[in-house]
Amino acid sequence: MKELSLNILDITENSVKAGATLTEITLDESDKNLILTIKDDGCGMSEETVKSVTDPFYTTRTTRKVGLGLPFLKLAAEQTGGGIEITSVVAKDENSPHGTCVTATFNKEHLDFTPLGDITATVTTLVQGHPDTDFLFIHRKNGGEATLDTRELRQVLEDVPLDTYDVIKWIEEYLREQYSQIN
Amino acid sequence: MKVREIAEKAELKILSMPDPEREVIGAYMGDLLSWVMGRAGESNVWITIMSNINVVAVASLADVSCVILSEGVELEEDVLNAAKEKGINILSTNLPSYETAIALSGMV
Repeated sequence: MKELSLNILDITENSVKAGATLTEITLDESDKNLILTIKDDGCGMSEETVKSVTDPFYTTRTTRKVGLGLPFLKLAAEQTGGGIEITSVVAKDENSPHGTCVTATFNKEHLDFTPLGDITATVTTLVQGHPDTDFLFIHRKNGGEATLDTRELRQVLEDVPLDTYDVIKWIEEYLREQYSQIN
Repeated sequence: MKVREIAEKAELKILSMPDPEREVIGAYMGDLLSWVMGRAGESNVWITIMSNINVVAVASLADVSCVILSEGVELEEDVLNAAKEKGINILSTNLPSYETAIALSGMV
């Protein structure tokens, strides 16, 4: 993909499909590196499944036999000299902690580093597409950060759905405003 | 023209050819896999310098007739095995991508 933000969109969709109530997307950016973490509290995967998810011929999709979300993220990270790590805990019962965490490390100075792209659009698209699940987005960069926590929004908005046009517009401007401070 | 005939006429090295009689229609050239995935046409020849396992997956999804690795790019054994198993034809040449396309001109 020409932008990492599209990879992020793709991977986060997996979390939502895994039944996550909260998905945390964190970007830790320094001059040299970008570390992406996508952590969810979804149903989790077995050890065996974790090993096979970066194989493009493994997929949870039933419509076709190839899944390229994680294989593409792995490729994007590895072609900069970085890599990905996946840990997961399967849900045994409702009370025990469970979920999946994907961490991808990129060397920003490598020529094959894929630019992050329009992450604000990605985050707004996620909220709009899944207004009933929560997202915590944090991008740390240049000593500052841009954040969005839909749980806080939900408290303030009470019964107003998050995919309401005005809410989505507000989220977009809220993120863009924060980025204008740290970029 | 069939993949087998193209391999012969353009003097391409055969790495994996489970489906030699596959008919070739047109060609596509590109190395950004996600981009190729949505753009390479069915039965195209796909010219690329990429050689990881995802190439086999994209070739399968896009339903290209064969992959041609240019610039003398080689395949790891596990990728080669996946190609054979998934029925993906893979050929190679020492020519750069542009010259490979020229060599195929008139055939596809």
